[in-house]
Amino acid sequence: MNTLFNTVNFWRYNSSPLTQFEIKDLISIDTPILGNLHISITNIGFYLTMGAFFLLIINLLSTNYNKLIGNSWSISQESLYATLHSIVVNQINPKNGQIYFPFIYALFIFILINNLIGMVPYSFASTSHFVLTFALSFTIVLGATILGFQKHGLEFFSLLVPAGCPLGLLPLLVLIEFISYLARNISLGLRLAANILSGHMLLHILAGFTYNIMTSGIIFFFLGLIPLAFIIAFSGLELGIAFIQAQVFVVLTSGYIKDALDLH
Amino acid sequence: MPQLVPFYFVNEITFTFIILAITVYILSKYILPRFVRLFLSRTFISKLLG
Repeated sequence: MNTLFNTVNFWRYNSSPLTQFEIKDLISIDTPILGNLHISITNIGFYLTMGAFFLLIINLLSTNYNKLIGNSWSISQESLYATLHSIVVNQINPKNGQIYFPFIYALFIFILINNLIGMVPYSFASTSHFVLTFALSFTIVLGATILGFQKHGLEFFSLLVPAGCPLGLLPLLVLIEFISYLARNISLGLRLAANILSGHMLLHILAGFTYNIMTSGIIFFFLGLIPLAFIIAFSGLELGIAFIQAQVFVVLTSGYIKDALDLH
Repeated sequence: MPQLVPFYFVNEITFTFIILAITVYILSKYILPRFVRLFLSRTFISKLLG
């Protein structure tokens, strides 16, 4: 028992709220013959793969043998489909936007599942990593830009000119629009990672605080139930944020694709 | 901040893009068309009855 308390105290005093985001090797190979490559399966890779398997298993379980009348499993999947379909139809284009639907759907599920996996205690929040979210956001904005150039050629630059702006203000406005176009790269990825990161850090700090209170004595144990209620409430809030951030990411992605397809 | 340690950046990005690409492929080839077929058959049956 004493050893257990020592271990817990060691963990408590030696861990910052950020240690939960550390990437560790699970299996790794050093290859001196291939230019000293360090090939490894890390915890983030493991959890991302688990998320993909989870998606596959959920979809296999909810096939309902292609029956016309759905059961509760298949209705959950159908409503997810309908929600994302309405996002794509409303945000991009009812007619031409549908070819982007599989991408938007996959992106939503990918972000949502990884956000939710992060909510499981002692697991790993992959979407709190800026590299991952920035890689996604930079790729999406670059892809949308390429799409715009492919469709409109050099006319794509008219995106930077707001409709009906006076000629004198044009250089300034084009500069501002260009900066705001570049800022999309950063803002899209930063929003997701910062939300998930801050939520997990907040829960970690509150949990450490509550643990300290509740182990201080019998009265403090009952007093600690108040911050414990806050932790539970924040966990609910984080679950909501997991859904909302996935939705916001997807809605903004659709908006950027729409900007590239139909210049305003 | 462990997120900013660059040692595993390539590993993260490789996993992300491979998994996202596989997800897009499996969804668009196997999973999503099933929904379309289901909705279409519902539409046809309701037209048939109506």
